[in-house]
Amino acid sequence: MDQEARLDYLTDYLLNEKTGATRTVVQPKRNTAQEKLALFRGLCNVRPPEPVTDEFITVQDAFLTQWNTERPLTALNDLEAAAPQIYVWQGDITSLAADVIVNAANSDFLGCTQANHECIDNIIHTRAGVELRLECDAVIKAQGRREPMGKAKMTKAYNLPADNIIHTVGPYIDARGVSPLKEKLLASSYRSCLALADEHGQSTIAFCCISTGEFNFPNKRAAEIAVQTTREYLNDSGSALNVIFNVFKDEDLYIYQTLLGMKE
Amino acid sequence: MKKRGEFLFIEKNGDDYTLSMTPELQDDIGTSGFVEYTDADTIEAGDLILSVEASKTVLELDSPLAGKIVKRNEALINEPALLNSAKAEENWIITLTDVDEEAFNQLEEVKRYIS
Repeated sequence: MDQEARLDYLTDYLLNEKTGATRTVVQPKRNTAQEKLALFRGLCNVRPPEPVTDEFITVQDAFLTQWNTERPLTALNDLEAAAPQIYVWQGDITSLAADVIVNAANSDFLGCTQANHECIDNIIHTRAGVELRLECDAVIKAQGRREPMGKAKMTKAYNLPADNIIHTVGPYIDARGVSPLKEKLLASSYRSCLALADEHGQSTIAFCCISTGEFNFPNKRAAEIAVQTTREYLNDSGSALNVIFNVFKDEDLYIYQTLLGMKE
Repeated sequence: MKKRGEFLFIEKNGDDYTLSMTPELQDDIGTSGFVEYTDADTIEAGDLILSVEASKTVLELDSPLAGKIVKRNEALINEPALLNSAKAEENWIITLTDVDEEAFNQLEEVKRYIS
């Protein structure tokens, strides 16, 4: 099967599932390869965490492996340290071949359920595969309640070039702005992820800009907390972790470069 | 005497230290819809005391002090919105004993409050 044939198989499977019957995906066309990909992504996004057949997994994994690796991947060796154990890299976190990438999750913990939504939780789940939502579902059911802010949980990364994903729910900033509690919770997200990576003997962790996207945390203040918390953690624990601050937007790149003294 | 730590008020009465909600914390979390107490009876500073699911956040409240939990506000379990009450006799969470008085003294003082 080529990639397009795989997409046809996968979308047919998903469209015929009874589980997703009540949800609709706004992407009725499936003529071009791009439309087929958008339909596949949307169907996976809205799909509840129900079991799938082994054949689906085989085809999906083959499709995702090729889709994920047909673009340039980045590893720690490709980067230059901004400070001891600290790196900054701009790009798509799903193309990082690191031991751990950090996902900005929400308290439901199942990944973004909005079809084709442009958030990090969505693209991580999409490119990892439906297995990720199934594992997250098992993790959150075992916990018995929704995921609190400022904590961290690790899962496998499935079809991503990374080995593992650490999911953390950062604080949400509403109209009243940043409060001391929200700042503490953001620092706690960073600390929990670092400690969990160390607990599992990982050597490289790549952070996204937690809480700054859909959760509205001001970018500069968030970066200050990220860098300060990481430096304190590395100093206090003596951890050998290599930490990559992964930024997507130019604004965040500039902020991190300035904070880490990479800009004049 | 009343202090604050971990976004909670701590009121000392003899050997009892009662933890309750601050207005800032109530504002931050929104209306509480579910609470679950820790099973532990003896806790360290920074340990979880109460898991809260509220309209604006899901979070775990940590204890600012080490001690032994002698009372829980059981009414919160059936009526979690009591956490949002303005009255300390309704929004209190736990009472601790065996608390190191020095640790309490080092917490931030509450200068003015309405009780």
